[in-house]
Amino acid sequence: MTTQKAFLECKGVWKVFGPGAEDFATNPGGEASTEEFSAHGLIAGVRDASLSVAKGEIFIIMGLSGSGKSTLVRCMTGLHELTAGHVLIDGIDINNISEKELVKLRRKKISMVFQDFALLPHLTVLGNIAFPLKVQGVPRAEREATARKMIELVGLSGRESYYPDELSGGQQQRVGIARSLTTQPEVWFLDEPFSALDPLIRQEMQSEFLRLQAMLHKTIVFITHDFDEAIRLADRMAVMKDGEIVQMGTPEEFILNPANDYIREFTKHIPKDKVLKVGSIANGSDAPTNDQPLQASASLQSVAEQVIAGDGRHPVIDAAGQVIGSLHRSELGPYLL
Amino acid sequence: MSHQGSSKASAAIRVTAILAAIAVAAAFCYLLPRSNGLVVFPADWTVDWATPLTDWMKYLSRDFDVFGLQFAKITRFLGWLVSQPFEILGGVMGTGFTFYRVDAEPFVIPPLPWTGITICIVLVAHHVGTSRLALWSAATFLFFAVFGLWESAMLTLSSVTIAVIIGGFIGVLLGVLGYRKPWVDALLQPIYDIMQTLPLFSYLVPMILFFGFGPIAALMATVIFALPPMARVTTQALNAVPNSVKEFGRIAGATRFQRTWWVLVPAARKQLLLGLNQLIMLSLAVVIVASLIGAGGLGGDVLKALRSVRMGDALASGFAITFMAITLDRLSYAVAMRRHVHETVTRGWLQRNKLLVSCLAAMAATIALSTVLPALHTYPDAWTVELGRFGNGVVSWISSTFDAQITGLRDGTIVWFLKPTKIFFLSVPWAGFVLVVGVVGWALGGWRLALLGVAIFTAIALLGYWKKAMISLYIVVLSVFASMIIGFALGLWGGLSDRANRALTALVDILQTLPTFVYLIPVVMLFSIGDFPAFVAIVLYAIAPGIRYTAAGIRGVRENLIEGAMMSGCNRRQMIWQVKVPLALPTILLGLNQVVMMAFGMLVITALVGTRGLEEVTLVAISRVNPGDGLMAGLGIAGMAIVFDRYIKALNRKLAHQLGLPVPK
Repeated sequence: MTTQKAFLECKGVWKVFGPGAEDFATNPGGEASTEEFSAHGLIAGVRDASLSVAKGEIFIIMGLSGSGKSTLVRCMTGLHELTAGHVLIDGIDINNISEKELVKLRRKKISMVFQDFALLPHLTVLGNIAFPLKVQGVPRAEREATARKMIELVGLSGRESYYPDELSGGQQQRVGIARSLTTQPEVWFLDEPFSALDPLIRQEMQSEFLRLQAMLHKTIVFITHDFDEAIRLADRMAVMKDGEIVQMGTPEEFILNPANDYIREFTKHIPKDKVLKVGSIANGSDAPTNDQPLQASASLQSVAEQVIAGDGRHPVIDAAGQVIGSLHRSELGPYLL
Repeated sequence: MSHQGSSKASAAIRVTAILAAIAVAAAFCYLLPRSNGLVVFPADWTVDWATPLTDWMKYLSRDFDVFGLQFAKITRFLGWLVSQPFEILGGVMGTGFTFYRVDAEPFVIPPLPWTGITICIVLVAHHVGTSRLALWSAATFLFFAVFGLWESAMLTLSSVTIAVIIGGFIGVLLGVLGYRKPWVDALLQPIYDIMQTLPLFSYLVPMILFFGFGPIAALMATVIFALPPMARVTTQALNAVPNSVKEFGRIAGATRFQRTWWVLVPAARKQLLLGLNQLIMLSLAVVIVASLIGAGGLGGDVLKALRSVRMGDALASGFAITFMAITLDRLSYAVAMRRHVHETVTRGWLQRNKLLVSCLAAMAATIALSTVLPALHTYPDAWTVELGRFGNGVVSWISSTFDAQITGLRDGTIVWFLKPTKIFFLSVPWAGFVLVVGVVGWALGGWRLALLGVAIFTAIALLGYWKKAMISLYIVVLSVFASMIIGFALGLWGGLSDRANRALTALVDILQTLPTFVYLIPVVMLFSIGDFPAFVAIVLYAIAPGIRYTAAGIRGVRENLIEGAMMSGCNRRQMIWQVKVPLALPTILLGLNQVVMMAFGMLVITALVGTRGLEEVTLVAISRVNPGDGLMAGLGIAGMAIVFDRYIKALNRKLAHQLGLPVPK
């Protein structure tokens, strides 16, 4: 996936708050510690962040509060001006375009879902979802027709005329999601969309999110403070701390090769057999000794029973049926605990 | 620990400094003769800014040109512009329209029938509120009709409506401007402060100059007076809109105009409507006082009745004002608190606009029926209850029966409290007073605060208002003292007992709804005029926040602190005096601040019952059309109010800091 052409790119993005931030960030600030920044009366929200998101990819930025994840996403949407660096969306450098072009970009190409839903209290579900089209001057009948489709998409049919404060949190966020999809954006930003919801509703909404993405194939930047959520949803992910990206990669890479103790602390409690795929731990050097093939893309959990019961080395095959390695039950052991 | 120690030490230094300043001031009193310039401010030190200001405003209103256009013409045009909707509304609601013709009877378009208007109000009240509110509104409007006050009431209502529309519009615009441009907000805040504390009478004189004597000048004064709170509420409400909603507006690609009027303002609508409720109540209070400059209406009725000693009439109009205030308050509050509820079925235009349609139908029906039954159109004079001098008997019965008590109370208060305090305030040497003000200011909030206090009181002396200011101050200080003692006692009771709290909340709600003017009516009836009735009126008016904040403070003490105290073995008395009251102090001080502000507000109105302080100057300025004096004296009152406000706030910050509580806002 990393080989695919990037649709959204951040190159050396800095966001420093405080007077005279620009000089400091680009000059000695590159190496400065958080303490040195605060000694200058500055706060480094984002420090030299570079990342790229491919078309149709779910990219998750995970970090605890104050890690700079929300600041970074606000840099990507132009809500914050960058202190240094570039953000490119579909090749457009959003910090080098006029206000007018930025408005156009926001109307056509990007949208955002907010942690606290950010619904307009005076509009119905229908009115809220049609709102982004209303600001573009789309005629009423047309925008409401589109909005109704979105309502159906997120499973809120029958609630068109409800007002936000008549809905549960989960329902409100469905409205937020539908509203962010009405303009058919290419890049979809979700800022901790499920953090304000109860655990059960959160799981339901995560599944809903995956269902939608399977249909829509948006380019997604998803912010969360929940490592489990990141592992569950991400194609690729980045973990931030103190404004810096600590590690970036697929969920499996995080589990197999945590970059440092900070990451290891998060991965410790993750059930590895659920995350890891057979392909990523298959042994390439030893030849298979039985004829019970395993799919490389299957999770360890789903094949565990079979591998433990089986004798010898199972062949591991890719989608085309080619053998790419083998797996013995002794090699599975470390990942099942 | 060392920090604690040093703050204790500096507290000791501060207290010593204050005591030293008081000692010096007292020494002035005894050592210096009254002829000394530091004791009584010498007349030849004073500067007269009032006369040039008056001259300048008169020049402005008569001869000043803007690009060859007479300024007076511009203001008259503005006045005309405002008078149009006002006259139309007043005509439609109460007076009707009369067109005089040559060689023919005047052509008359009658106003809307009183029954129609009443039914519409009831329908609206029922729609936005409860049946109880509808019933109350019906009773209020019936009261207007039965007591022959219909036309006055409609005139007052029209004035309030127009003032609220204009004030609301400008207020929201200024508020949006203040939200968008923080420097504009920073600039406007102190101006609002002065505008809100400047006595109403000070506004009236220039308005008379620019707009002529009558309801339009009153209306303009009302708008200016009621505008700052609306603008403030708007800025606050927009700032309080959740950040994510603001961000959503930008992400959705909304233009600045769309973000303001489609996102921010609607998202803040609840607070804005609550601001509108305040605006309505303030406008009503002001419109009634503005009757003085010929606005007519219910306020004018009260005034006329009091002057010709028709107590019954005065009471009836007073009650009409009271009922109108309560109706408008509850109605607009109900509107603000209304929740959006979805509709289960899509309905046609007729269904969606049921309220409008039924109001129009009611109006049409009553108009049609009134051709047969004229009583439905104009409430017949024969059926009105004329109280006239009826109440005189009651009032004189009360005063003769309770003569001993009334005179006892009045004379006792005058002899024991009012007189000594007045003599004290008048005898304090001005320089000593200013010194104490400065040192206290420094002790509370540093040299900036001290400078503010010293500057304002020195300016008052320089303008030659010292004696008048001291007379104002003595009444305010005494009534604040009384309000706080009574308010604290009642509030403490409410804070400890749920039943008392319910009763007190209802009482305070009503006290805070009533326009200032209403308080004067019973007071004048029982105690005639002078400082004592003024004192009673101020206490009645200003007591409400004293009660409310004390009760809220006592109730607001955190549960874990109470449990902690209980576990350490506090008995009930200790719990109240050593835990609850000290912890409630910052909130009670907030109440004190409000009490002081309200006392100054009422002080101005008490000029009508013959007090002799600065407020009298602002009132006399109206009849002499002397805007300079009115404004200068008004600024004096505003200045004193602002000094009190800042000092109490500084004290509160210190106290909250010491108690480790968040600084209340």
